[in-house]
Amino acid sequence: MEPTQLVVDLSRWQFAITVLYHFLFVPLTIGLAVLIAAIETVYVVTGREIFRDMAKFWGKLFLINFALGVATGLTMEFQFGTNWSFYSYFVGDVFGAPLAIEGLMAFFLESTFVGLMFFGWDRLSRGKHLFVTYMVALGSNLSALWILIANGFMQAPSGARLDPFTMRLQLSSFANLIFNPDAQTKFVHTTAASYVLAAVFVCAVSAWYLLRKRHVELARRSFRMAAIFGLFASLAVITLGDASGFKDVGVQPPKIAAMEAMWHTEKAPAGLNLIAFPSSREQKNLWSLSVPWIGGMMLTHAFDKPIPGVFELEAQARRRIYNGIPALLALERLQKTPGDNRALTTFRQHEKDIGYAFLLQRYAPNVAKATPAQVERAARKTIPSVPVVFWAFHLMVYFGFTMLAFFVLATMFSLMRSEYRRRWFLRLSLWLLVLPYLTVELGWITAEMGRQPWTVYGILPTWLSASTHSVAYMIFSLAGFIGLYTVFIVIEIYLMRRAIIEGPATAPGKDDNTQALPTFVLKGGSA
Amino acid sequence: MTTSELLRYAGWFALALLALAGAAILSYWAPWYFAWVVGTVMIILITAFAGALYERQAREQGAHGEDPLK
Repeated sequence: MEPTQLVVDLSRWQFAITVLYHFLFVPLTIGLAVLIAAIETVYVVTGREIFRDMAKFWGKLFLINFALGVATGLTMEFQFGTNWSFYSYFVGDVFGAPLAIEGLMAFFLESTFVGLMFFGWDRLSRGKHLFVTYMVALGSNLSALWILIANGFMQAPSGARLDPFTMRLQLSSFANLIFNPDAQTKFVHTTAASYVLAAVFVCAVSAWYLLRKRHVELARRSFRMAAIFGLFASLAVITLGDASGFKDVGVQPPKIAAMEAMWHTEKAPAGLNLIAFPSSREQKNLWSLSVPWIGGMMLTHAFDKPIPGVFELEAQARRRIYNGIPALLALERLQKTPGDNRALTTFRQHEKDIGYAFLLQRYAPNVAKATPAQVERAARKTIPSVPVVFWAFHLMVYFGFTMLAFFVLATMFSLMRSEYRRRWFLRLSLWLLVLPYLTVELGWITAEMGRQPWTVYGILPTWLSASTHSVAYMIFSLAGFIGLYTVFIVIEIYLMRRAIIEGPATAPGKDDNTQALPTFVLKGGSA
Repeated sequence: MTTSELLRYAGWFALALLALAGAAILSYWAPWYFAWVVGTVMIILITAFAGALYERQAREQGAHGEDPLK
């Protein structure tokens, strides 16, 4: 029994929504833990109590976010089993290891040390508490590492081979799995993006205090450290974004073609579409603003390498579909007669394209009798939604550069010790808080929508991965997730807001300079 | 130099060698993981330096009789 297209779509929506909700919490946990470690390092080195207050205050916000992040993350692993049963069966041998390690090593490490970090301020020495804080930071980053190793496998399968007798992918090299270049770049890109988000968060909350002239000393120090932290993290994100693009040209060319709205293979070096309105139906850009040469140079790091366009990629997909058909037919024979050596040989000869035959099965259940029109339809499906991927990618990039510009100004103003007087900039810092959240979500939309129509790129199509639930079940569970996760978001905002309004727990007058401020400042300083 | 000091130095030396070997292996097999280790440590150190610099600037401004909040 096969899942209907509506069930597949609803399963995708459900996973996408839960992931996007979950990822509203995750990057702050990852980034804030590292920033708190830097703040506490200053406390241990200088002995200044205000840095202890800073670490404790931001640690409180970290804890609220961490707790809700865990709550929203648990359901996703269950969804693999409930909504993606064939996917779980197919890749379980590969996927299980990183997810188990994530749970056992990283998450337990993080959770154990979070308790010590929060309750150990008066029980541990400075050095020991700093060690605990670093362990929390390491644990939160390692959690991301194992998830992204699993995701890296889905984007660029490496270290596994399809067993034709069990119809499962089997792990052939654990080293290839964890050192997968896609997982590497994705991990560093994601963690650096999380640092950026945490930096904007700290800048925004600090700006809020500065605008209200509360906890000024704490806020100014936090603003300074977050600005520098964000500046270098932004540079890292952009560098790794470039590395990801460079790698994807060879690994996932359809994603690159969609990201750049490139329908035809241009003469190298290809141009860069700054703005475009692509139409998937007409397979062309209705309007575009392009810069010559830049796209090719950025993506290939060369002047003479072309970037394949959609039409060329569809032609390649057609060839791979025809090459995958004998593999699928051999697989069917092996299922009936496991000792059929001829079928095994045929399978091994064509197995690299078997995923394309699986894809064709959606349109031609008997692939041996597939018509050219059905092959054509499957080939067109190998290209992800160009408008969605193009805009998700471009908005992500534009927002990323906006944040880099923000951090340049924030660092400059803070080093000049003038950020406090630039109230317009403090207001901007506050309003900018929404931007990194949008950016990280757009990043995931680019990565996951760009991988379609595959769950495991080139091997397992999405349509084959889903469970065979009823539509009513999917709608009911989807509505339940949206309702529950919205409650989580409301709780997060409520708790965060309350903690921020309460502010850091400093003794009155000590490092909280509200009372100590000169009268001209209390009346509102101007630039 | 006492024996315990010598052993401590030897221990630190062994740790440094181990770190170098680890870095060499990691940078060969996993250049981006290596970049993350080095980059994150650098970002933390630079951020911590920025915090310490704030203290110095505030102290200098205070020494010159300026309002530290200006």
